[in-house]
Parts: sequence; structure tokens; C-alpha cells
Amino acid sequence: MTRFEHTPVRPVIRIRDLTMAYGAVDVLHGIDLDVHRGEVFALLGPNGAGKTTTVEILEGFRQRSAGEVRVLGADPERGDDTWRGRIGLVLQSWRDHPRWRVAELLTHFATYYPDPRDPAELLALVGLTDQADRQVNRLSGGQRRRLDVALGIVGRPELLFLDEPTTGFDPEARREFHLLVERLARDEGVTVLLTTHDLVEAERLADRIAMLVGGRIRACGTPSELARRAAARAEVRWTADDGTPRRERTADPSQLVWELHRNADGPITDLEVRRPTLEDTYLHMVHRAADGTDEAADREARAA
Amino acid sequence: MRGTHMTNETSTADKAETTDETPGGTKRPGRTARHWRAGLLRGGIELRHLLRNPKEMSGHLSNVVVALLIGAYISDDVPGTHTPMAHLVLAGFAAYLLFQIGLINLPQILVTEREEGALLRLRATPGGIPAYLIAKCLLVVVMATGTLALLLASAALLVDGPLPRGPGDWLTLLWVTTLGLLAVVPLGAAIGAVLPNPREALALIMLPTMALLFTSGAVFPITSLPVPVQQVASVFPLKWMAQGLRSALLPDSARAAEAAGSWELPMVALVLTAWTVLGFLLAVPLLRRAARRESGSRLTARHRRAARSGAMPA
Repeated sequence: MTRFEHTPVRPVIRIRDLTMAYGAVDVLHGIDLDVHRGEVFALLGPNGAGKTTTVEILEGFRQRSAGEVRVLGADPERGDDTWRGRIGLVLQSWRDHPRWRVAELLTHFATYYPDPRDPAELLALVGLTDQADRQVNRLSGGQRRRLDVALGIVGRPELLFLDEPTTGFDPEARREFHLLVERLARDEGVTVLLTTHDLVEAERLADRIAMLVGGRIRACGTPSELARRAAARAEVRWTADDGTPRRERTADPSQLVWELHRNADGPITDLEVRRPTLEDTYLHMVHRAADGTDEAADREARAA
Repeated sequence: MRGTHMTNETSTADKAETTDETPGGTKRPGRTARHWRAGLLRGGIELRHLLRNPKEMSGHLSNVVVALLIGAYISDDVPGTHTPMAHLVLAGFAAYLLFQIGLINLPQILVTEREEGALLRLRATPGGIPAYLIAKCLLVVVMATGTLALLLASAALLVDGPLPRGPGDWLTLLWVTTLGLLAVVPLGAAIGAVLPNPREALALIMLPTMALLFTSGAVFPITSLPVPVQQVASVFPLKWMAQGLRSALLPDSARAAEAAGSWELPMVALVLTAWTVLGFLLAVPLLRRAARRESGSRLTARHRRAARSGAMPA
């Protein structure tokens, strides 16, 4: 499909040397990022890493300190109504329009756009047909979020922002939500920028993942690229002759195991070779940057 | 099905490429019409929700009932005139109801909807903020005229309440109501834009409004109050709204009970216009600032604070 081809079209999101400071404190230290049309891109990072700040700059809700940002070809700080109409937002803290009925709300928001989706079809797409006449504040958390997605895509946006979309979901709701996002990207060519601190979700949904830790992009690539990078150093564990547990990190686990066997009299107790997962790389990066990050997180929270 | 989707997208993308160079330059015809339509639809739906909400409706109706009960209970005349005291009180209540819609109900609606995220969603929607303002104007005007009509009609039917006599009085009723609303609605919008949250909002607005209710001569003749209190009250719009409505609803002989011995209609117009101007001067930048400041993280932070204070489930 087109989404895997390299097209000369300019990226949907283009960020160059983006910095953000609250007062004297830097929250983002020079971010570069390109997100291409039709791509599901995950911005992964612990709380306070700068994800929200980055996304709010892209959404046009926050003024950056410096750097170049283009979203759908325009500077978000000067995005007009036409530009807004091409973007969809799904935030985690929306509790708006509690008294409205589901179909009523969706039909109403369709009137703001020049070429909206059919509300009834959209309700079917997000699986809320049975709840069409229900009052919005009577929906479950998962249903509410799916309604938010429906509201986010009713104007046929080219770019959809999903902010920690499955926080608080049960596993089934989460799975359904993932299927919905996949369908949007694969069948309708919507570009999706997903922020999450959930690695499994990022791996499941994203074509590419950027790990944002302490205001810097520490790694960026497809899930398999990142996993390969992670697998570069495996961990070998065994129990030594004196009964103490041992572990060693190595780029060549086979070599190490071979040496162990050569030096041993017989089988080696509890021998285990662990290929680190994507999660290990992620946690490693988070811990490595932990000191700086915590500080930045506090400051970001205070500034917000 | 999918084929049509793809063509749609390419055409939007093409349009986008041209918009890039001149943001806002490609104003499609019909966009303003779409905002108005969305705003009016929105106002209509909000009105329907209001009418169907027993809790909120009873809040508005109880005001009218209180006014009627007081009107039925009081039997003496305004001192120095042959006008029933009940008429003065009912005219004062009519003014207070308008005042309350602008300065209590409206700010509360704005603060609540801001906290729930409606303002943010509309900010993220093309034409959302204009539509929101149109809807709110419609809502306030219908609420005000509805309450006023209900109060005057039920008072006239049940407790022999006052009604305008002749076209001149009706005209006065119309302009005083209109100008009174214009004086308090933008001011209420400005207050709604700066108040921190719905829980504190009520406490912050209720006290000064109640104080004005009792010092503005709305519920008893203003001449019975100490002069300094009268002077302070005449800075605020409620005194003038009540005085204007009295001139429309009470016979001219009741002028004797006014502080100046006349209705002072030019002064009513002047003070209310001044508040209108002040209200707009405050409301426009404050509302713009409130809308600009909305973002997902601010919303989350507010919800977290609300959850901590136990007012809202986390």
C-alpha cells in the first residue's frame, strides 16, 4: 500500500530543532521529527518527558520557544479554520456535553465541516449504534473515548491526534480501540500521531515509534528496528559452581556460552540467554535519563 | 467505496497545498453561513436540554414562585402613593431575574462548560467559537424573555400584578430589558472567563449579587435606605434596571417614591450603556484569552484538582 512507499510529498508533520522552555527551564531540547502521510506514529515516553508539550505545540494550543514546526504545511501557531478542519483531536480529559445524546452530538459536530462523514455510519464504525440515543454522561469510559474518536474524525481529518487513548480501558475495550485505529489508518489513509506511555500499545499500532525521554528523542524507528537495536546486547544468566547467581551482558551470547562450557566440567546450572525486548531498551533509556527527566517533569507540571 | 474516499482525500490535499501559501486566503463561500447555522442549531439544542432538565428548570421557576408569593403576601401601598407595594416588588424582581441570568447563570454555564472541555472542543473545531457565542446569546435571550414573560403574566393573572399600560410603557419595557441584558451579559461573560471553577464561582458571584438585590431598591423603596448605600448602589446596573422597569410597569403617580421624584430614564439609558461598553471591553479580550489558554493538559490539571477536592470522579 501507499503508506510504505517513499513519496516525494512533504511530511504531514515536520519538526526541526524544536525547543520549549518554561521560564528558565528547558522542557524540549531540540527535537527533529518527520511524520509521513498515512503513517501511525507513536510518541512514547514516561510522564513528564515532554510528550504533551510537543503534541500541544503541534495542535496549535501552545507557543513554542524556538524551532521550526509545520503541520499539514502550516505553522500551527497561525493555523486558521481551514487548517483546523483538517485535524482531528482525541484528548484524554474530555467530559464535555454531558447532557447531549450521542447521535445528537455527533450530528451537531458534523455541521461544522464542509464534507462530514455520515453520523450513522460513523456510529457503526466506532460501535456505538446501540448507544445512539443514550445521554453522553451515561456512557462507560471506553464508549466515551470511542465517541471522542468519532467526534475527532467526523470532519474527515487528514491527521488525527490521539492522546493516551486507552488509559483506563479494560483489555477488550482496548483491543477494539486498537482495531478501530488500525482500520482508520489502513483503510482510510488517516495519519495518526499517538502519544502513550504504554509500550505494548505503541508496538501494536505504530508504523514508527519515537522514544521521547527527558525532552529529547532518544530513539526513532520501526518497532522491529528498535527491537533489533535492543537485541544488540543480550543477557546471559547462570549459576556458578559455588552456587552464586551470575549474569553478564554481551553482544555475542553464543561466544560467552561456549566459553562457559569450555571452562566447565559439566552442564551449567540455570543457564539462560535473554534477548532484551523493546521494553528493556525503553526502560533502560528511561532510567538512564531518570534524574534529568524527573526534574523536567516537575517543572513542566508546575508551569502548566 | 474506498475509491471515492481516496479521491476525496487527494482533492482536500490539493486544496491544502494552495492554502499553505496564503493561510486564510481561500475563504470558501458559505463558511459564515455554516457558523450561523451551527450556532443556532446549538442554541436550540441547549434550550431543549434546559427545558428538559428538571433541576435547572426548578431553579428558574422557584425565583418566579418566590416573587409571586411575596407579591401575594404584601398588601400595603408604597409610602406616599396609591401604588401597591407588591407592584414595586414584582418590577424589582423582574429586573433582578434579568440581572441574575446575566451575572449568575451565564458565568456558571461558561465556567462549567470550560471545565468539562466544551470550550476546548469548540476551539479545536472550525468555526466552533463563533457558533458557541451565537448559541449562548440565543440561550440567554430566550431564558431572559421567557422568565420575564412568565413572571409578568403569572403575576398579572394570579396576584393582580403590574403590566405596562399603553404602547409607551411597552416600548420602555422593551428597551430597558434589552439595554439591561446588554449591560449584564457581556459582564457575565467576562466573569465566566476569569472565574477558576464552578464550585468557587457560585460563592464568588452570589454574595455581591445578593447584596445588590437588597441595596438597589429592587425589593423595597430605595428611599428607605441610607444615602451612602443608595449612592453605592447607583453605580451598579441593577438599580437602574429596576428603576427603568418600574417606569414601564408602575403608574406615573408612583414617581413620588423615587429618590429623584422622577423615573430618570435618560440616566437609566446612560448608566446601562456605560456598563454595556465596559462589559464588551472586558469580555472580548478575556473570552479570547480563556479560549486561547485552553489545552488538553490544562483540562487534565483542572480535573485532577477537582478530583482531589472530591467534586468530580477522577
